Amino acid sequence: MLFNTIDFAIFLPIVFGIYWLVDRLGIKVQNLVIVIASYYFYGCWDWRFLSLIAFSTLVDYTVGLALNKELRPSRRKLLLWVSMLTNLGFLGFFKYYNFFAESFSQAFTFLGVSMDAARLDIILPVGISFYTFQTMSYTIDVYKRELEPTRDLVAFTAFVSFFPQLVAGPIERASNLLPQFYKRREFDYANAVNGMRQILWGLFKKVVIADNCAQFANEIFNNSGDYSGSTLFMGALFFTFQIYGDFSGYSDIAIGTSRLFGFNLMQNFAFPYFSRDIAEFWRRWHISLSTWFRDYLYIPLGGSRGGTWMKVRNTFIIFVVSGFWHGANWTFLIWGFLNAVYFLPLLLTKRNRHNLGVVAEGRILPSLREVLQMGLTFFLTVVAWVFFRAESLGHAIDYLQGMFRHPGSYLLLSNYFDYQNILNLIVLFMMVEWLGRKGQYAIEGLDYFLKNRVLRWGIYLIIAITVFLYSGEKQEFIYFQF
Amino acid sequence: MRHFLVNFLIISALLLLVLTSLFSMADGYTDAYYLRFTTSKKSNLILGTSRAAQGLIPQVFDSILQKDFYNFSFTVAHSPYGPVYLKAIQKKLKTTEHEGVFILAVDPWSISSKSQLPDDVSNFRENKLCLGNTSLVNCKPNPEYLLKNLNGKFITLLTSKKDSSRFLNDDGWLEIDVKMDSAIVNKRILRAKNDYMENLKTYKFSTARLEALKQTISFLKKNGKVYLVRLPVHNELMDIESSYMPNFDKVVQEARSLSDGYFDLTYLNSKLKYTDGNHLHQESGRLVSKTLALLIKS
Repeated sequence: MLFNTIDFAIFLPIVFGIYWLVDRLGIKVQNLVIVIASYYFYGCWDWRFLSLIAFSTLVDYTVGLALNKELRPSRRKLLLWVSMLTNLGFLGFFKYYNFFAESFSQAFTFLGVSMDAARLDIILPVGISFYTFQTMSYTIDVYKRELEPTRDLVAFTAFVSFFPQLVAGPIERASNLLPQFYKRREFDYANAVNGMRQILWGLFKKVVIADNCAQFANEIFNNSGDYSGSTLFMGALFFTFQIYGDFSGYSDIAIGTSRLFGFNLMQNFAFPYFSRDIAEFWRRWHISLSTWFRDYLYIPLGGSRGGTWMKVRNTFIIFVVSGFWHGANWTFLIWGFLNAVYFLPLLLTKRNRHNLGVVAEGRILPSLREVLQMGLTFFLTVVAWVFFRAESLGHAIDYLQGMFRHPGSYLLLSNYFDYQNILNLIVLFMMVEWLGRKGQYAIEGLDYFLKNRVLRWGIYLIIAITVFLYSGEKQEFIYFQF
Repeated sequence: MRHFLVNFLIISALLLLVLTSLFSMADGYTDAYYLRFTTSKKSNLILGTSRAAQGLIPQVFDSILQKDFYNFSFTVAHSPYGPVYLKAIQKKLKTTEHEGVFILAVDPWSISSKSQLPDDVSNFRENKLCLGNTSLVNCKPNPEYLLKNLNGKFITLLTSKKDSSRFLNDDGWLEIDVKMDSAIVNKRILRAKNDYMENLKTYKFSTARLEALKQTISFLKKNGKVYLVRLPVHNELMDIESSYMPNFDKVVQEARSLSDGYFDLTYLNSKLKYTDGNHLHQESGRLVSKTLALLIKS
């Protein structure tokens, strides 16, 4: 069930109604409603994979309790490994088996040894990378004694399968989300309105920006050999907005939906395209994953302690692993590697924590220096996205060469009317994002406009009508495949 | 909670009002099919693919046969004979009257599937298209159709009038108004020819579709007279069609004998004008409709 479908528009009010109706029966019943709704939501994709989530949940629940009782370090480590191997085993099998089998086969062929790898016809369970990381964070935190394990199986099941963020995040840390399942949730008008507003903005990003950009990005990337350099550049630009609209839109809908149920999820995107350097970009893009890798990989590896070589090594490891998390393809690995290369100069000159605040804070317009910084960062990001979107490394390299080979040629897009419309919408979108950049999401930051009731309702209606009028051809959320 | 729900309902009602106004703007320019899902049940139907949708003009039949005809033909993708089309016809037909006239255009493609498994009903491509995904065929406005089939492009409800080359009339006739100078027409014919050459590789005769055609005839026979017609096409396309199914008349023999008459109008092929070789031009459409109506009358 996708967020941008009629099915979800029917599902959400029903679950919302039942959830608050059973409020008086206690949080256990409310949690149970969440579990049933979440399993139904996930089962709509493929009910067979419900057993995977259920199994992961049971393993981590049991391991968590056992870790609490066990004092011997070797046994505790063994329990941690049981959880890690179960979770990463599922992930490895469903997501990476074919990649490794083919890569080994190619490597052996390269060395002159013919080897046929058995390729399996495996369906990737939707969102497996997201819920696997979420449940792993629980076990790691319990292992490190940073979190008390839960005895409440229903609450834990609800935490693992919480439908708003189950299939594409934000990847919540157990220490933030799990305790919210223990506490009584009160319906809060302001929070619910904020949630609805965030859902609306998320829908705009997904349905208007991402889906319309996808139309052109797909056409240009799929036929990149037919297009001129400037068109290829536009294709990369369209994909840049597509992936942002798609993923941050999904996150907004997820966070907004959670607010309706009285939960607060972490911010996942903080206007990344206004970043002044790559380090800032990665503090603002897919925050829940970046911080996951920081907490559970970068810091255990030594983090920024130690010498320069150690820092460089750790940086490359987390970027490449992050690329690999996105998909079993060399293109994702190179995308991660390229971002590490972008990051390197900042790390070596110790400028990676220079831009921590909101750009041009307190001003309407940025300075020329900020414009140049944002422009350069944006350009580097656009180039990196080519690897992310391309079908293969060869395709990415051809695409980039094409982009710079004939930069002056004319655009060759057939549907000029739609093309103009989407460019206008992107400009409007970025203006709203700029004006609202100090909020958790753009329209939350437009406090001046939101104070006036008529203006506020007018904005809601205009966005809703625009979502309806300009919605592009329905596209799957890109991040579901991860 | 009450305050939240009241506000939510107010804003939803406002939005619904805007959307209803927008939906009511959908008309014959919206797309080539919408209006056919908005009219009431009909007693006399013209059925088939796009050849019939563009080439058989209800107005002409009305004047000669003194009946109120409705063109419920779509395209070879949407309405080849099959369970989906039959179900839609059953919904569209006014079954209280039993003196109807039904004209079914048939050709090799309308009883074939673009698939390696031509009889795999569950994978017929029309299952996912408008006739397959819209349960209501007599509702105005028809939000179900618009939501499921406009691919989210609701902006076209405001802008589609710019494309004046295609208009779906109230009687279901799809009027095409395109330039007819010979160079452009030849280009279109060449394109259609190439497409049909491709079809030779991808289409396969379907027993299930032929069976559905017979079921359709049997169902309609309960409500009136059923006539089969093979419409004219450009000679070059006819050659391709003949090489695809040389014994077409024999293949549909059972269906022909179930019907009240079969008219093969392909003898007119070279005397008519086509917009692209596959579809009759308006003028020729009128002529063919008149010829067919007179044949039915006689």
